[in-house]
Amino acid sequence: MFSLNKNLPCLLGDEFASKFQWFPEAASTFSQENDWLFWLITWICVLFFVPIAGCLFYFSLKYKKPKGEKAESNTAHNTPLELAWSILPSFFLVGMFVIGAKGYLNQRTVPDGANDIRVEAAKWKWDMDYGSGVINPELHILINEPTKLSMRSEDVIHSLFIPAFRAKKDIVPGRYNHMWFEATKTAGKRVVGKKLADAQKENAGQVWNYDKWQFTEEGYRFFDLYCTEYCGKDHSVMQSVVVVHETEDDLNAWIKKVSKRGSDVSPEDWGEKLYLRRGCTGCHTVDGAKRVGPSFKGTYGSVRPLADGSTVKADENYVRESILYPKSKVAAGYQPVMPSYKGLLSDDDIDSIIAYLKTLSGDTPATPPAGNADTESTTK
Amino acid sequence: MSAGSIPSGSQIRDPGYPTPSENYLTNSKGILSWMFTLDHKRIGVMYLIGVTTAFGVAGLLAMLIRLHLFQPDGMIFQGEEANNWYNQVFTLHGAIMVFLFIIPSVPAALGNFLVPIMLGAKDVAFPRLNLCSFYLWVFGALFFISALCASGLDTGWTFYTPYSTTTDSSVILATSGAFVLGFSSIFTGLNFIVTINTMRPPGMIWFRMPLFLWATYATSIIQVLATPVLGITLLLLIAERTMHIGIFDPEYNGDPVTFQHFFWFYSHPAVYIMILPAFGIISDLISVHSHKRIFGYRFIAYSSIAIALLGFLVWGHHMFTAGMSSLTAIIFSALTFTVSVPSAIKVFNWLATMYKGSISLTTPMCYAISFIFLFTIGGLTGLHLGTLATDVHLHDTYFVVAHFHYVMVGGTLVAFLGGVFHWWPKMFGKMYSELGGRISAGLVFAGFNLTFLPQFVLGSRGMPRRYATYDPEFAFLHQMSTWGSLLLGIGILLAFVVLVCSLKYGKRAPANPWGGATLEWECTSPPPFYNFERAPVVGDPYDFSNLEWDTENERYVTIEPEREVVPEEQPEAAPVHAEDSN
Repeated sequence: MFSLNKNLPCLLGDEFASKFQWFPEAASTFSQENDWLFWLITWICVLFFVPIAGCLFYFSLKYKKPKGEKAESNTAHNTPLELAWSILPSFFLVGMFVIGAKGYLNQRTVPDGANDIRVEAAKWKWDMDYGSGVINPELHILINEPTKLSMRSEDVIHSLFIPAFRAKKDIVPGRYNHMWFEATKTAGKRVVGKKLADAQKENAGQVWNYDKWQFTEEGYRFFDLYCTEYCGKDHSVMQSVVVVHETEDDLNAWIKKVSKRGSDVSPEDWGEKLYLRRGCTGCHTVDGAKRVGPSFKGTYGSVRPLADGSTVKADENYVRESILYPKSKVAAGYQPVMPSYKGLLSDDDIDSIIAYLKTLSGDTPATPPAGNADTESTTK
Repeated sequence: MSAGSIPSGSQIRDPGYPTPSENYLTNSKGILSWMFTLDHKRIGVMYLIGVTTAFGVAGLLAMLIRLHLFQPDGMIFQGEEANNWYNQVFTLHGAIMVFLFIIPSVPAALGNFLVPIMLGAKDVAFPRLNLCSFYLWVFGALFFISALCASGLDTGWTFYTPYSTTTDSSVILATSGAFVLGFSSIFTGLNFIVTINTMRPPGMIWFRMPLFLWATYATSIIQVLATPVLGITLLLLIAERTMHIGIFDPEYNGDPVTFQHFFWFYSHPAVYIMILPAFGIISDLISVHSHKRIFGYRFIAYSSIAIALLGFLVWGHHMFTAGMSSLTAIIFSALTFTVSVPSAIKVFNWLATMYKGSISLTTPMCYAISFIFLFTIGGLTGLHLGTLATDVHLHDTYFVVAHFHYVMVGGTLVAFLGGVFHWWPKMFGKMYSELGGRISAGLVFAGFNLTFLPQFVLGSRGMPRRYATYDPEFAFLHQMSTWGSLLLGIGILLAFVVLVCSLKYGKRAPANPWGGATLEWECTSPPPFYNFERAPVVGDPYDFSNLEWDTENERYVTIEPEREVVPEEQPEAAPVHAEDSN
């Protein structure tokens, strides 16, 4: 029965199949089961649709008559026939329902001993929590091992969707939602050497361009991860990636690399990395442009008016407070929409971000904005 | 007997043409005679103008969406606020199409015009309520316009909490609009239920009602029972936003999924408010233009009622991924499958009606055929979504977008256009260009498929809904879809032009241009303001045996065998038995 879905692309021809490829890569235990059921339903639909459409057009031409001619028959009803076409399709429906419900139960029953990763969704970023304070927007998992996601939302409803795994679940604020899956293959060979180095060099100082490079900053090939519940302005860029690792060592090596600032990385550089990676860029620019939140350019050391009418000097403690308790002092002219990073950033991380902010204000707190054009180059 | 001749020895029955003082369009003049009219036909025409305007606006918004998605990074809206613009445009497209166009389109515009005439009544039961429902529609539309002018609306037409309780945009204005529109819908439904129950003339038993009336009746039941739930939900949403009563917003211990349950408890039945009247139109169109008795009248009539009732039990399938318990999801999935059976019955019955008929490929028939094709695709792809395991992958992707557009546009809109073309001669007394009408049907059909077939593939490949920008690998299919939408737009525009031109240049329409046997064809075109002078004789609505094509005057006429009404010979003055006694 599995031959159904494998045959179809062949029927359509390879070139056609690649351009009109019907499904993304099948990379989890659900994928095959799901695609098979999809094609089963589709073929049943075709079984019904072709005769229906055939009759429709055939009758339209065959019984087309000049005006005024009488119909050949005026049969009002035929109870056995009508009962037959009311009841027979029901058997197909029952079949679809039963297979579908079984597959669904399987997708909803998390196996014991699955690797647990906590997911925190907020407008418009993903935070995957690997434990011990290691948080990264990318989802990294192990091949052939069930992974469970325990998901919560900071603000509105989001939905985590990994097309390659055929897995999806809404993330509703005020409760935990869980999902699980087991990856059966990686997204491809890791990119190393010059190609990776060139990409890293070209992308420096900007948010990593996954679409352009088609691999992550560390050279891993990835599967797409989308938010599929409309969540506001940047819903369509609330995307991340899933990397499937072949070995646990490889996964641990990656976790170690992203977990904290290495001894050879300066706080300023680490702060910039966090700025680019952890969802700050959605609302804060570094070139002075106003977005959902104020720009970081010249923020540090400035005296800024607050929404309640008072003013505050943006020193270390103000920045720290704004990261951990963003709603306590809201800058005038902005909405209190920033999610709290309490528990999501370590002290060293916050320190690094402050260090990075200082570079954007030219290290001289006394002279606020005054546009230092060359500050950016000092970070590189 | 050659086609089109009137058999000799028979009488022709045809109401002829109305005089200007009888014609409902001209019997009184001036803007006030329209604004304060109680005539259901005039109210129907005002609704028709209103919903067409709303459709035009929302259609243009749809074109903006499609043009924007022509490129992965967005083509139309640029700059910092691009995504906000896009979100507002798709929200308004959905909200206007659903609340201002699809829901009132067939029931309020065509239904108002047709229900009393088809029934053989002089008007609806509550003419003032009827006018009131139109003005409520206008107020609802004004609320939407004011929401647009204030700070826009970016929640999606579904107003999901907690996004809708936290966003800055004018949620309160828009939900008030939807609330008012809900009352408009309830009034219309109530009016039709009472009219159909109490105002049937002698002889109009339930099973002699045209199927359009059955469909309207089923729709009205849903409108009256489901819409109040939407009203309450929207009021609660407003209360949550303004007073934080803590029912939907998790920040105040509410549950956002509760909102989804409340919302879909109305909005799923509302899907049937949108599609059931379309079924009614198609049942009549297929039968009339095939000049053949509708096949399985009772099955079609009962299936409308079955859909109306089952439609209340399936709302949970909008929340399969929201985190309901597995048991709940499985029950909703099972119920969802049951509702597909009555829809399938109708499709089979329509085909059986065409079989061995005498089909005229007129414009309305072209739209009806197009409807059956498109609706079947829309219905069948619902099976992928009703099946739990496959829905998890397809939920909230373009597959869903394509599915419901096949039902709402390929279904309701195409049926609405078919219905307008079918009853246009009756409403305005003018024939339109058949060629132009048929070309428009072809363009709509081709454009529609080109727009939405690629979206099934997009969805299966994982393209999420409501994305202002997308990954470059989806670009090709999105571009196909955009080209299709342009074609679809041209088709609809052509249909509009053909109809409007007919008002000025069209030939005068006979009373029965298509050969329909329902009562509206026994009135003149356009009908007199009083519909029927006296309660009409009610016959079989699908008996076409007495209808003949009159080639000379290009009309169908009802023929009756010549009958002697009074004895011709003078009876003898003296009784016959008088002779015997002599």
